[in-house]
Amino acid sequence: MSLLTDQALHLAAGYRLQWEEAQNMFVLLYPEGLIELNQSSAEILQVCDGANKLADIVQTLETKFETTGLENDITNFLNTALDNGWLTQST
Amino acid sequence: MAGSLKAPSPPRWLLAELTYACPLQCPYCSNPLDYANFKDELSTDDWKRVLKQSRDMGAVQLGFSGGEPLVRKDLVELVDYSHELGYYTNLITSGYNMDEAKIIELKEAGLDHIQISLQASSKELNDFIASTESFDHKKVVAKLIKKHGYPMVLCVVLHRQNIHQMKDILEMAIELGADFVELANTQYYGWAHHNRDQLMPTQEQLQKAEAIANEYQASQKGKMKIYYIVPDFFEGRPKACMNGWGTTFLTIAPDGLALPCHSARQLPNFDCPSVRDHSISEIWNESKAFNYFRGDDWMQEPCRSCPEKDKDFGGCHCQAFLLTGDATNADPVCDLSPQHHLVTEAINQAAATPMEKPMVFRNSKNSKVF
Repeated sequence: MSLLTDQALHLAAGYRLQWEEAQNMFVLLYPEGLIELNQSSAEILQVCDGANKLADIVQTLETKFETTGLENDITNFLNTALDNGWLTQST
Repeated sequence: MAGSLKAPSPPRWLLAELTYACPLQCPYCSNPLDYANFKDELSTDDWKRVLKQSRDMGAVQLGFSGGEPLVRKDLVELVDYSHELGYYTNLITSGYNMDEAKIIELKEAGLDHIQISLQASSKELNDFIASTESFDHKKVVAKLIKKHGYPMVLCVVLHRQNIHQMKDILEMAIELGADFVELANTQYYGWAHHNRDQLMPTQEQLQKAEAIANEYQASQKGKMKIYYIVPDFFEGRPKACMNGWGTTFLTIAPDGLALPCHSARQLPNFDCPSVRDHSISEIWNESKAFNYFRGDDWMQEPCRSCPEKDKDFGGCHCQAFLLTGDATNADPVCDLSPQHHLVTEAINQAAATPMEKPMVFRNSKNSKVF
């Protein structure tokens, strides 16, 4: 499944993003599974809220971190996340 | 034995075995053979204390298991409390005695996911393996689980008597709308160890099954995730037991015994601690049982000098104990183990065992013999 730039992204059914105080990190939870996220992955997943498309996500994060040129990294991550079934896109 | 020098990583996964009671009698049950001796189940308050203390330490994935967790009258209350604590809650059930009202009640309590097991793709074989008429009801329950919006894992334990149904099992999973399918070849502990000769598949059966699993993994990509778990007896290298002993998983047995893996009760001289006597923090950080296989001080050769020791941690200690009598030996499924011949012999012995040889089914009457 590859990324559609004209559609918003959201966590797949049964997946939950959660801050874990004890581990001091975000984790992605799903049936019988757990992924410990690094900071950049967590930042991207937090804005996959069902309203944002690729361009919105890039803009939000570039503004937040006062930088440019994030589109490639974000696209790569989103493709991996879609492939792993963490994210889906509305049709 | 001294623990490792740095503080252990916190538990992330809590398996709450609420009860050993189960209406099914599967002959590969992972519960201890003598489960009927452990009747004194933890109270609701005991469980709440365990849930709170484990969550405070960092546990976030929670499995309610058993036996059959639906047997516990306080299941909904415990799910509700766990949800409030922020766990991702998984119910691991046979589906037996589940009805729509309970599915709704659990959903309202915050249950995140249900794993339902089937024993085969045909009624005749399912009901034989479970020793309980349950096939039609389980399929109805699976459809209700999906109807109420849960993600669903369909679990089928594979063995010599049902592995030929692989294709039908996967078609059934599609029909039932499973999101994940777990096709786990039997691991030989507990009752499965006792019935190993009748359960172990042949190499030929495994090759066919794996080819079908691969075919469906490709065709179902993006729709249904299929986990096919190869039996380690045929692998040549051991699995990384529990992701490393005392690093991730914490099991609490129905009577309150805290176990680094759900088979660890059988290991001799381990003095597994009870949550009736100790806090989860004391158990996880300080107990002999949880520290026993942390790090690699405990290792013998060939593990000690093996370049793969950080990958598989010497394999499964319960398997080493069951097959060699010493849990600190290398897991003999490893072909570098000097006792690997025990595994080869077990495979040959199983292959020479006629299908007709009766299995010992898991029930209280049989359990009392052990």
